[in-house]
Amino acid sequence: MMDLSQQEQFDLDRLAEDLGALPEAPLSMPVQALESPLTQSVFNLFRLRLHLPEPKAGH
Amino acid sequence: MTRSAPLQRRVILTRTLALGASLAAAYGGFLLFLQFGAADGLDSFDILRSALIFASTFWLAWGAITALAGLTTRPPLPPRHTGALTARTAILVPVYNEDPVATFARIAAMEASLRRTGMGHLFHFAILSDTRDDAIAARERMWFLRLLADTDGEGRIFYRRRTKNKGRKAGNIEEFIKRSGAAYDYGVILDADSLMEGATLVEMVRRMEAAPALGLLQTLPTIIHARSRFGRTMQFAGAFYSPIFARGLAMMQGRTGPFWGHNAIVRMRAFAESCALPELSGKPPFGGHIMSHDYVEAALLARAGWTVRVDDDLQGSYEEAPENIIDHAKRDRRWCQGNLQHSRLLLAPGLKPWSRFVFLQGILAYIAPVFWLAFLAASIAAPLFAPPIDYFPIESWPFPVLPVSQVSKALGLAIGVVGLLFLPKVLIVLDAALRGRVRGFGGALRATQSTLAELVLSSITAPIFLMFQTRSVLQVLRGADGGWPAQSRGDGSLTLAEAWAASHWIVTTGVVVLGAAQWFAPALVLWLLPVALPMVLAPVLIAWTSHPSRSGLFLTPTELAAAPVMDLQDAVLTRWQMVAADLPEQVADLGARPARA
Repeated sequence: MMDLSQQEQFDLDRLAEDLGALPEAPLSMPVQALESPLTQSVFNLFRLRLHLPEPKAGH
Repeated sequence: MTRSAPLQRRVILTRTLALGASLAAAYGGFLLFLQFGAADGLDSFDILRSALIFASTFWLAWGAITALAGLTTRPPLPPRHTGALTARTAILVPVYNEDPVATFARIAAMEASLRRTGMGHLFHFAILSDTRDDAIAARERMWFLRLLADTDGEGRIFYRRRTKNKGRKAGNIEEFIKRSGAAYDYGVILDADSLMEGATLVEMVRRMEAAPALGLLQTLPTIIHARSRFGRTMQFAGAFYSPIFARGLAMMQGRTGPFWGHNAIVRMRAFAESCALPELSGKPPFGGHIMSHDYVEAALLARAGWTVRVDDDLQGSYEEAPENIIDHAKRDRRWCQGNLQHSRLLLAPGLKPWSRFVFLQGILAYIAPVFWLAFLAASIAAPLFAPPIDYFPIESWPFPVLPVSQVSKALGLAIGVVGLLFLPKVLIVLDAALRGRVRGFGGALRATQSTLAELVLSSITAPIFLMFQTRSVLQVLRGADGGWPAQSRGDGSLTLAEAWAASHWIVTTGVVVLGAAQWFAPALVLWLLPVALPMVLAPVLIAWTSHPSRSGLFLTPTELAAAPVMDLQDAVLTRWQMVAADLPEQVADLGARPARA
């Protein structure tokens, strides 16, 4: 049996979802190129020279 | 074209003068220090220290010249559309674990302010939640319903929560544009703590309408609602100095202006076409998603041929800021990582040269403190490596030859550095007095007192920021995560114990610096005191500046007379705090209405 207070919260959440729904009007957004083979090579060289460590997990 | 060509010439002239003057100042500093260092014989430490002085002085001079450009130039009035408006604008409010009452009260205030302009129907609000905390998300939904009920905003105010916050804020906005972007001509991008006058929002649309090539228009947000000593100092500095620096920046950046991530309007089509950010190869902090996305989006818009502009004359744009040094340093840690990550983009294909230079400036802003610290360390170590003084350099001359004192050179350099730091602010006070701008800051006398107090406070706290920034840079270079022990309370005030926990390492560094100087170079101790003493006193300064300010100093226009939208925000907050307990019953009334299709 569902708890009444949970039920109320569920209804409010559904209501917020319904009333808050964004308009559906898609617009394409092509991903931009920011790296070239040259920039990647420079970065890789930099990493090797500095021996940059891997970040901590969860960073 | 007839209008933009002379403007572009002015921009190029300003850039050339600024670059030339900064390089000249840096070269002057380099030469002075080289002569000072060479007095007892030139060694590699003298060359290293002179090079560090060159880089640091260049950065200081660049800031000073930006202010001078702002004081001496007036950009032409931007064109504005004066006819009836039909363009539709979405106001995007990305939220991430923020207090929904405070954030949504700002939205209610902006909505009311827009209604007063008679153009409210042209603006929609989209609350874009990336909140990971389910309890806060539940409150967001609850208060969203209250917001709808309060503003009758159904169909104009939207709320959605992402299940995964891919790409953080940039990804949040990108997701909105992909889903709903075609419904709008423009998007106003805000932060959760942004607040803007309705009239300002309408004016921004008018300026976008009048300039079809304008892809992004940035306002200069003014800090409001600061209460602590640190917060009010920053608020004063932001309101008093920043408009001048922003104008100087505008004169130098021309069509390749800045985006500071919020309180700006974008042409939806331009942003969609140009600003979807890729993940950079490799892992954080240099790879992965782009942290300081705003600079990159501005560069991408410029690359695609769109104009990016900052209009410093646009009033009614507000934000809130950290109330203590620790919160400021936390934010700065994020910005440091973002700016250093831009080193990956310096050679990105197709960018405008100025965009690359902006990236370089951002990197320099964080590297410069490391240069200063390296300079201090090299100065302390230099006597260890200096060659012994030869008092009898001429074989046939029986009398000693004493080296010529070059202390005057060091003094000249110190005066020059202090001048670069203080002169722009002094000139800004004079300019404000002449133009009557001081009225908003309590009059000429009060504005002068506030400026002097700000100079003292910023000088005392500068070594603490220098240490935090240096640590941030080193952490990023090590690929380490930046953990922070201190947590501020609601009003941002910190106890001495909290301040100590966050800054004991600065105290240790200060003591070591003074001890090392006393041991290796006693003559330097007096010179080092202005830097080392604030480091030793860091916890006291951090705690003291975080406490509420009751001073008559640091008055700002919004403290003297709250902006209309701030009054609206206060009224909403007061009303909501009174009804908070009855909220579920009140929002339940909405359930009786048919849901929007």
